[in-house]
Amino acid sequence: MKKIININFHSRVIPIEETAYEILQQYVESLRRYFANEEGRDEIISDIENRFSELFADKLKKGAVCITDEDVNATIASMGRPEEFEGEPEPSAHAGASGAAGGAGTTGAGAGTGGASGTSGGFQQGYGPYSTAEEPRRLYRASNDKVLGGVCAGLAHYLKLDPVVVRLIFVFLFFTGAGFLLYIIMWAVLPTRSLTASPASRKRLYRNPDDRVIAGVASGLAAYLHIDVWIPRLVFALPILLGVVTSIFSNIWWHAFRYNGHFIFNGFGGTFFIAYIILWIVLPEATTAPEKLEMRGEKIDLESIKNTVKSDLETLKGRAKEMGTEMSERMQQFGREMGSSIRQGAQNISSDVGYAARKSGTGIGHAIGVLFKAFFLVIAGLVAFALIMALIGLAFGAFSNQGLVDLKGYVLDGFWQNTLAWASFILCLVVPVVALLTWLIRRVTGMRSRRHYLGYVFASLWVIGIICAVVLAGMFVNNFRARAHSEEDFSLQQPSSGNLIIKAHQPLVRDYYDDWWFGEGWHRHGFFYSLSEDSILLNTVQIKVLKSDDASYHLRILRGSYGSNANSALEHARQISFNVTQADSVVELPGGFPITRDQKFRNQQVIVAVYIPVGKKILLDNSVKRYDWLNLNFNRQHIRWDNSWRNDEDYDDEGFLRNDNYYWDAGVQYVMTASGLQRAEDIEHPELREKPERPQPADRPEKKERPEQPEKANPDGRYHYQPPARSNRDSAPKTTTMISTPHSGYLVLSLFGITLFS
Amino acid sequence: MNIENTQSQMRKGILEFCILSVIRRGEAYPSDIVEEMKGANLNILEGTLYPLLTRLKNADMLTYRWVESNSGPPRKYFSLTPKGETFYGELQATWNELSNAVHALTQKI
Repeated sequence: MKKIININFHSRVIPIEETAYEILQQYVESLRRYFANEEGRDEIISDIENRFSELFADKLKKGAVCITDEDVNATIASMGRPEEFEGEPEPSAHAGASGAAGGAGTTGAGAGTGGASGTSGGFQQGYGPYSTAEEPRRLYRASNDKVLGGVCAGLAHYLKLDPVVVRLIFVFLFFTGAGFLLYIIMWAVLPTRSLTASPASRKRLYRNPDDRVIAGVASGLAAYLHIDVWIPRLVFALPILLGVVTSIFSNIWWHAFRYNGHFIFNGFGGTFFIAYIILWIVLPEATTAPEKLEMRGEKIDLESIKNTVKSDLETLKGRAKEMGTEMSERMQQFGREMGSSIRQGAQNISSDVGYAARKSGTGIGHAIGVLFKAFFLVIAGLVAFALIMALIGLAFGAFSNQGLVDLKGYVLDGFWQNTLAWASFILCLVVPVVALLTWLIRRVTGMRSRRHYLGYVFASLWVIGIICAVVLAGMFVNNFRARAHSEEDFSLQQPSSGNLIIKAHQPLVRDYYDDWWFGEGWHRHGFFYSLSEDSILLNTVQIKVLKSDDASYHLRILRGSYGSNANSALEHARQISFNVTQADSVVELPGGFPITRDQKFRNQQVIVAVYIPVGKKILLDNSVKRYDWLNLNFNRQHIRWDNSWRNDEDYDDEGFLRNDNYYWDAGVQYVMTASGLQRAEDIEHPELREKPERPQPADRPEKKERPEQPEKANPDGRYHYQPPARSNRDSAPKTTTMISTPHSGYLVLSLFGITLFS
Repeated sequence: MNIENTQSQMRKGILEFCILSVIRRGEAYPSDIVEEMKGANLNILEGTLYPLLTRLKNADMLTYRWVESNSGPPRKYFSLTPKGETFYGELQATWNELSNAVHALTQKI
């Protein structure tokens, strides 16, 4: 039971069996190859086809229901196969020039082709019927079936290989450099022939354009090897995917995956990617039916067996012929070549270059298009993957650190902000991922949507998400417009020993030192101390040491906060609970201050100002190193708290850190002198000053010589303590450095991101 | 030396001449030409004929016209051009020469 198709064959409708049709296609294809360089090729083939159509119509009229295999074969037999034709195909149709060669048997249109024009056609008559059984010993360039110069095709014909294989070999050789030179040499040296595909290569590697995800390379391979399509697809895709996955993972959980994935998968991924590109360029597309048959491999049936037998016979015949004629041919060729080699060469090169230029114009364009398409696809895939990974990572981060889930509550205020936050999260992140997944699924399953509205819907949703995010950011920033602080004097008892020790209290709360969370050590750089169910503990506390105006110690606490206006800022500032206790010489400060959900995060800060009278000592315990600082500065203005707290004036006009307040190291005993804070050991043991690691004496004169800062030496009568130029200062910069505007912007964004996705 | 090669060479030598002769007698359609030649015991494949005809036509030896037929698309009917006539004349002269020469050579025993 065979399938029948109707064909429109030269304006006749012919019902024909599908297999018979394929035989017919193959025959026409062989005609095409045979007449490849014939000037009237299309006309000849059209005439022959017309004749076929006529004969078929006759058969149908005589009562046949349809055209069967036998009918087609019988008609082909009567028409004759190309190899049986007795007129030779003429590369340059010089039909009927004067029979200058005399009646020496040059027939067909070959009459005038001897002599100067010197193409190889003149003596093709000895090879006419046997052109497909071309002697395998002579090497030619193919004039048909050529991508650049037909070198590979000719070589393949000589070796009876698939041209694609030879091309691939040459591609590999190109990479070594020798291949290029070899190719050029062969291009110049070998003469061209119209080579038909050798019958031995009945199974060729093609690209399959019908079943393509990207370029049909994988499905062509699958058809050739008779395996399922997804297997080569997986082989190509898997190393790349795995390489991407493991490299992303290795950045997140680096200690787990670091050494496993990277070398294996990334190496293979790159190789397969390049192999895919090369195959894309080199393999031809299987467009016609016989090519598709070839792609799938041999059809085991009578037809292919007959072909095999026929080709074998022809090879024998050809071989036999060649012995006799090769001698004469060689001699004549020699004679011809002398006379015409130059002209031949010029002709060849010019025509080839023109052809190659045209072809490569499309070929290179094709190749560039291929590369761009592949590149774009890779980038798109990576972007999608990154988005998915971001989602997963943040989701995990949010859910496994329960505390972070609630961070959002401290930042966002009110219904609108919350809604916007959720909306922008969903729309910005989730929508693209969903869109990409949909597109991927569509592509893989081959579904086509009739209307492309879905793309527009996704795009507009994403834009809305962006808008929401922007609005949310605006509202968020709005909360930080004004800044206010409240001052409180702490009544300090004078320590009996003349030495004040400042300690920071270590609270008994759970610390979130998750160093695996994106590999950052948050506990070192983070401004928040810990989280609990209902409050955050912030440690944005700064201790400033100043000289007292009278003979007693003073302690002053400044609480500052941002707010949407001055009143709300002040309110927020007052709400900071920072309780200091004193036990004789030891003043205990809290390790941080809590912010409840109701209070909202508004960059609350606390400054503890300690006034030391001259001659008294102070020691700041190592525990105060825990304090950190965060200064969100939105407007890039330097908002003054008040005159004596010129925080932002710590940076001079060029942005360098100035020493307005006394810098101190934790854990070091200091003494307040008339000229500022000095280390106690410096005063008590001045002889130690000569130690080389303390280049103080050398520095002092240097600093006094600074001509550009004479006016800053004594702005308001106070001596400014210039610290020795040591590079490895430890905690002091950390706790007293204020994060300037660039950093604040960065922190804002990261803060925003965290709260949004929790 | 292969006999078949030589034989086919001989055939090829006279093919054009014969085809032109047939057409010269009157307008002919390819399959008619094949029939006639078969009748004269010179078998030729249609597939050989078509390319030859096209080449001759491209060389202005032949011309054709389309003749509508009731059963399907029109057919090509070939006829000789004046240039073809000249060509034919020369070929005929050559043939005569050859034929005489061969005759002369083979008659002597």
